Amino acid sequence: MSRSATRFDTKKVNSELVTLTYGALVAQMIKDLDNTEDVSKQLERLGYNMGIRLIEDFLAKTGTGRCLDLKDTADKIQTAFRMYLGVQPNVANWSPAGDEFSFVLDTNPLTDLVELPDDLKSLKYCNIICGAIRGALEMVQLDVQSWIVLDQLKGDQNTEIRVKFIRRLEDAMPAGED
Amino acid sequence: MAVCVAIIGKNNSPKFFTCLNPDEELNFQYKVLWSLDVVEEKLNAGSKGGTDLRELYLGMLYSLETHKIYGYVTNTKIKFIIIVDSTNMALRDNEIRSMFRKIHAEYADIVCNPFYIPGEPICSKSFDINIKNIMTGTV
Repeated sequence: MSRSATRFDTKKVNSELVTLTYGALVAQMIKDLDNTEDVSKQLERLGYNMGIRLIEDFLAKTGTGRCLDLKDTADKIQTAFRMYLGVQPNVANWSPAGDEFSFVLDTNPLTDLVELPDDLKSLKYCNIICGAIRGALEMVQLDVQSWIVLDQLKGDQNTEIRVKFIRRLEDAMPAGED
Repeated sequence: MAVCVAIIGKNNSPKFFTCLNPDEELNFQYKVLWSLDVVEEKLNAGSKGGTDLRELYLGMLYSLETHKIYGYVTNTKIKFIIIVDSTNMALRDNEIRSMFRKIHAEYADIVCNPFYIPGEPICSKSFDINIKNIMTGTV
């Protein structure tokens, strides 16, 4: 948690801005909305709206083609984590049917220096990431469900986000923005 | 090795207080209160010259029979007070300075927590543990 003597490393300074901005956003939402469930839902929706746009940026920057299977998808999302958040998650805990997997993050730039107070123990602080994954995959015709399994802010060793494949969206227009 | 650390806000309200020996807590709280007067004196002396150049580390504020009190004021008028047991060992000046620098870094980290409202007392457990580590020199 301690800050080493930072020489002006521009990449580090930018990530602190993101961390502080996201923290201020969540703190303000807590003040505006009364219960933490609503805040978690709003964060997921925020993530969804970001995801449907980020996917275009991601595809433009990497120029990848179609994924062959879910493992391919998981690898691409890993690349996206690296591109946008600067972390490399591990893909783990594949279900036996091969339709569920987890991203395990040991560091999360969004939660640097954040400590959840006791009355916000049920807040899903990283829900924006879950929403982003859902939104991005929906734009490529994959309906998935994504949720947080383990959370470092709640005392667990690392943060685990589970993604479950529901179905392929055939010739469906993506759902309108929430 | 410090025996007590206190953080006082800019309007002289206590933000954080911890000491290694809980029996002496009241005693140390009085000492911190007295030393605030010395801090104010040093701050006012500096501003008379009209110059902004003031070092953050104030040095030894008070020397008692058994303890020495050191002070450090940030540019946002947050005051850190360290009480050191003088019988323990002769702590050199730059050891005290480095302790203050570490406390300042810890304080900056806790202020970055979006759920901490500046001006409130600090009740974070991990902050408490970190400060205790700094006090006992195990950082």
